[in-house]
Amino acid sequence: MTDELRLARMIDAAPDVVFEAFTTDGGQRAFYGQDDPGWIVESDCDLRIGGVWTVTFGPSRCRLYRHRHVFAVVDRPRRLVLATTEFRADGSSFEFTIELTFEEQGSGTLMTMTQSGFPTAELRDEHGRGMPNAVARLERAIHARR
Amino acid sequence: MHRTVQHNHTLDRTFFALSDPTRRSILERLAAGPATIGELAEPFGLTLNGVTKHVGILETVDLVITAKVGRARECRLGPAQLEDATGWIEAYRRAWEHRLDRFGAYVEERR
Repeated sequence: MTDELRLARMIDAAPDVVFEAFTTDGGQRAFYGQDDPGWIVESDCDLRIGGVWTVTFGPSRCRLYRHRHVFAVVDRPRRLVLATTEFRADGSSFEFTIELTFEEQGSGTLMTMTQSGFPTAELRDEHGRGMPNAVARLERAIHARR
Repeated sequence: MHRTVQHNHTLDRTFFALSDPTRRSILERLAAGPATIGELAEPFGLTLNGVTKHVGILETVDLVITAKVGRARECRLGPAQLEDATGWIEAYRRAWEHRLDRFGAYVEERR
């Protein structure tokens, strides 16, 4: 039973190139961007331990989300750890941790993003016990027997 | 916007109801068929009051319904579906996956 969300992507570039892109404006806009016309991304990043990276993004001025990341680990060009708070358009917010690793593989980089923590205080407490999988498993069990 | 807030509030309450392993076990037990409060209490080593409290939380989000049958209170699965909860988790995962894909494409296009 996992207690985290893990995603990975092979990128055809060296780790220092990927790391540099992720920690500068163009890459951050790409990360939070959309193809939708009018999509807003505003990023302000202070790359150092304890530094804050704020990103405001969304489809319009009246429906914006905001991520506030505090850098807990800056290990160039291998690893970043961010303490993140997501502020949602409905006024709610939640906190989680993001770890990014940049691992050289051949001529490319395996970029892995691991998130721990989960929305709502109750879920954050429960997340360590594998909430997402538990809900999915429960749904399957109930559907199978209904 | 109002509907979104309401939807999120319902989702929050559903997630809260599902956040307790005992409550999830109760739902799994009820998936096999109705049970009284007493029958639910026994395998978990809980008091009747303890089970009643858990069932009450599940009842507020329609995951369980109860009815008096003779002197006992019978519980069965309610009309609420779990698709909203699992759908939210899947959409959340997809959003981050797309971010990673867009970023990867951006880096590769720059080369």
